[in-house]
Amino acid sequence: MSATTSETRQIEHDAASREPVWLAWRLCRRELRAGSAGFRIFLACLALGVAAIAGVGSVSQAIVAGLSADARALLGGEVDLRLTHREASEEQLTWLQANGRISAVAEIRTMARNNDRTSRMLIELKAVDENYPLYGEMKLSEGGSIKDALAPRDGVWSSVADVGLAERLGLSKGDLVRVGETEFRLADIIEREPDRTSQIIALGPRLMIPLAAMPETGLIKPGSLFHHHYRIAVDGPVEDWVARLNARFDSAGWRIRDFSNAAPGIQRFVDRVTLFLTLVGLTALLVGGVGVGNAVKAYLQSKTETIAALKCLGASRRLIFRTYMLHILVLSFVGIAIGLTVGSLVPLAARPLIAEYLPVAANIRIYPMPLILALTFGILVAILFSLGPLSRAQNVPAASLFRDLVAPHDVWPGPRVALSLGLVAATLGGLAIVSADNRIFALYFVVGAAVAFVAFHFAANLVIRASRAMPRPPHTSLRIAVANLHRPGAPTSSIILSLGLGLTVLVAVVLIEGNISRQVGETLLEDAPGFYFIDLQTDQIAEFDTLISSFPGVHKTGRVPILRGRITKIKGTSVDQITVPPDYAWITRGDRGLTWLREPPTTGSNVVAGEWWPADYSGPPLISFDAEAARAFGIGIGDTLNINVLGREVEAKIANLRLIDWNTLGINFVIVFSPGWLEAAPQTHIATAHLDAASETALEAAVTDRFPNISAIRVREVLSNLNSVLAKIGTAVRSIAALAIAAGTLVLAGAIAASHKRRVYDAVIFKVLGATRRDIVGAFFLEFLLLGLITAVISALMGSVAAWGVVVWVMEADWVFIPGAVVATTVICTVLTVALGLVGTWYALGQKAAPLLRNE
Amino acid sequence: MINLDDLHLKLTTDGGDVNILRGINFHAEAGERVSVVGPSGSGKTSMMMIAAGLERATSGTVTVAGSDLGDLDEDGLALFRRRNVGIVFQSFHLVRTMTALENVAIPLEFAGRADAFEAAAQSLTSVGLAHRLTHYPGQLSGGEQQRVAMARAFAGIPKLLFADEPTGNLDSETGEYVIDLLFELSQKSGTTLLLITHDPAIASRCDRIVHLLNGQIDHTETPAESPPQTGSE
Repeated sequence: MSATTSETRQIEHDAASREPVWLAWRLCRRELRAGSAGFRIFLACLALGVAAIAGVGSVSQAIVAGLSADARALLGGEVDLRLTHREASEEQLTWLQANGRISAVAEIRTMARNNDRTSRMLIELKAVDENYPLYGEMKLSEGGSIKDALAPRDGVWSSVADVGLAERLGLSKGDLVRVGETEFRLADIIEREPDRTSQIIALGPRLMIPLAAMPETGLIKPGSLFHHHYRIAVDGPVEDWVARLNARFDSAGWRIRDFSNAAPGIQRFVDRVTLFLTLVGLTALLVGGVGVGNAVKAYLQSKTETIAALKCLGASRRLIFRTYMLHILVLSFVGIAIGLTVGSLVPLAARPLIAEYLPVAANIRIYPMPLILALTFGILVAILFSLGPLSRAQNVPAASLFRDLVAPHDVWPGPRVALSLGLVAATLGGLAIVSADNRIFALYFVVGAAVAFVAFHFAANLVIRASRAMPRPPHTSLRIAVANLHRPGAPTSSIILSLGLGLTVLVAVVLIEGNISRQVGETLLEDAPGFYFIDLQTDQIAEFDTLISSFPGVHKTGRVPILRGRITKIKGTSVDQITVPPDYAWITRGDRGLTWLREPPTTGSNVVAGEWWPADYSGPPLISFDAEAARAFGIGIGDTLNINVLGREVEAKIANLRLIDWNTLGINFVIVFSPGWLEAAPQTHIATAHLDAASETALEAAVTDRFPNISAIRVREVLSNLNSVLAKIGTAVRSIAALAIAAGTLVLAGAIAASHKRRVYDAVIFKVLGATRRDIVGAFFLEFLLLGLITAVISALMGSVAAWGVVVWVMEADWVFIPGAVVATTVICTVLTVALGLVGTWYALGQKAAPLLRNE
Repeated sequence: MINLDDLHLKLTTDGGDVNILRGINFHAEAGERVSVVGPSGSGKTSMMMIAAGLERATSGTVTVAGSDLGDLDEDGLALFRRRNVGIVFQSFHLVRTMTALENVAIPLEFAGRADAFEAAAQSLTSVGLAHRLTHYPGQLSGGEQQRVAMARAFAGIPKLLFADEPTGNLDSETGEYVIDLLFELSQKSGTTLLLITHDPAIASRCDRIVHLLNGQIDHTETPAESPPQTGSE
């Protein structure tokens, strides 16, 4: 018997190998004459996912190209040298002036007041010289040049400001604004500042003054946190220039940045957003893939007679496979082409959004790479979800094809198809990882997506089995509804899978966002101080402490010295040569605040390893380090860190590790030095005050009037700003997550449409058998209600678990379940399912019985 | 039991109006078995559809089991069928995604019978399909599917049974078995039978044969009679 089968297969194989490919193409063309009827959902699913990926990629490329084109303007020069706490020496300045065109800028956070001192606010002060800006254009509301605007008039310094500052302090052009110990006349309003790269989260609005006026403000004091930038337009290649600079000043302690990396913060932001949105697009494409698979399956089921007839006439399995694979591919290209066209137009639509949130003009044009990537994703998804139905169509004997609906042949794809499926899935996952900027994150996504698919398949099967096994409900409509969940050909599985995946993403996103928002809006505010006061000078401490401790409404105060320092080596190895985990990269990225203490901190951190030094310790430098950062860096007690403090490098040994609770928003430092090393260094103090909200304005006025150099940061205001930024991001993220829902809805609509003919037929037969319209609507309504509710409940569960994982494990924050978000999502899903389902049912009810019942 | 008076049915098609039925007058007594014969397009199925409340006449009066069907809306007609009518089609018209048991139980469920499934199982047993309760129509032969359809039609013990060429899709042997079953069940339950058929042998097993031609009753005969009576009743 097996020999006979083997011989038959051999004959079939020989026959198939003689069939030219053009025969399949010719048959495919005949099938294509029917047009795209029945493939609308197929096309829409592919187009949506591909458009999302192509659109995200194109926008990202447009921003990156814009960054590249504006790099010199964003950096302010071809090279930017930044010094913290100090200016360049005469020798350094002389060399810089001899080796290029130079513009000097100083930046500091401080307080600004209106002239009658009735309003004040924290500002980002920027002092610029006459060469500013070296590149790009400063735009003022009256269209004049910045040089003219900042020129002194009638012996008073001039300034230009963001409109937010003028509004808050009630200033009009010509009014005086007080900064430190000096007054400035507001000459104009800033419309665009070419080198401002952090518009999204700034602690205050910009005030720009002449650099020459800076000494008069009295803000430049030892240890106060100001940055001096020297922007240089160099002659010749930048790399050579930097090499010469380093050769000349090898320990200047400045941060050197050139225009090839003009705005790393924006670049990082764009990279992360691109990765997130691409993965959401890929989710939409995968969800849509279910719709693609359904459409192909339904199409091939409608072709069973044709396939059977072709087989009877001598068509081989291979010919059938090739013909319909070609057909699917041609249609896939149509869907993908629609997606690519829409995707390539997305940057045009996104341009206003980019202009609002990023300091860079997107360079709008067609970018081939994201389109090629989206095309490849589209083809892979189309093949992945079509292979199964195609393999069945070619494998199942013609007779079985006729009975497919009720007697589904449990045909496991042959080894070649299974291998192909595996290869396509692996290629899809591999491409998602390789094309991502953060491959670890992309790997998590791929694994997560695979797990989610398996979990939803499992859940859908469980629902089908449970509905089959449960006792018959007494109510007829409910019984029909429950039975419809497990009937042969029921769309239960694909609806739970597709709509469920989309909803899970939405539930997870809403819960994560809700947790962050709650964390910022409630939890942090509970323990957070009302104010941070920064830039306290050592000689101001006694008076400041007296003022603040006796101030009405103040409950608790804290104060520590603060210096800036940069980790240069870890265990003797330069940080440039160490791969730091991304979550902890900020610690080694540039200058960080550090302090020195005799006693261990009483709040916000606990020593978890090693011993705190004695209060009168005066030995070699020791440090107390963040325990979690130590674990990430692979260091522990006794290991050394080299830290550059104000240009001087100190090697210190780790004496103990502290577990820091950053959520208290108290004063916490990753690095705390032992006494004896930093007391004499120029330093300022930072203080906190916990107080009644009603006393905030009075305390701010009292402190900043008495000490003009001290800046008061209102924590409540910062958190509120942060919350509104988070709300905007949340809205954007939810909108993008809605893409996955849109894909799920398409699949739902497709599944309902696919079962529509059967539903109309069932409705007619029910009518013949005595069912009223109410009976029929009731049964279908309950079916979709059950389906929607089940999908929503599964999604709510899976989405909550995913969100919990992210909040607890990734964000390491307290988890709070937010029932409102989940209930809202559940209701959306149920209403959507019932509404779409009933639209089809309504049509079914209107069908006349007689035409369907007449003998053919 | 069935009174059709001056029944007309006109359908509008792309090619213009088509007069399907042109003044049918028909009467059947309770428990009577009447076969309707005639060439294709003579209006047999339309007449049956109207009598079963599945199609509305253009004019004329339809009174079945004491109900004037012209007075009933769509749901009223459904309730009328639920209480009075069983139908067997040539193409079986089973719900393909329901098992044999579910197919038979569904009209009983609509009628609110608490014992719907027990009665359905009994009905299937009576047509010899006790072993096929959980099979789907696609897993049954044509003859078996028609027996399921008959079990469904008889399960509620209807006053009237309409059968539209019930053997049309079956081979002669199976057809004979199904017809035997049909007559046996209708006899047992005292059901009025209106049977559409092309087969003179089957028609002759009824109490009366009505011949339709071009939408009108051409003549009526009782199987033993000869020559036939002509014209409307």
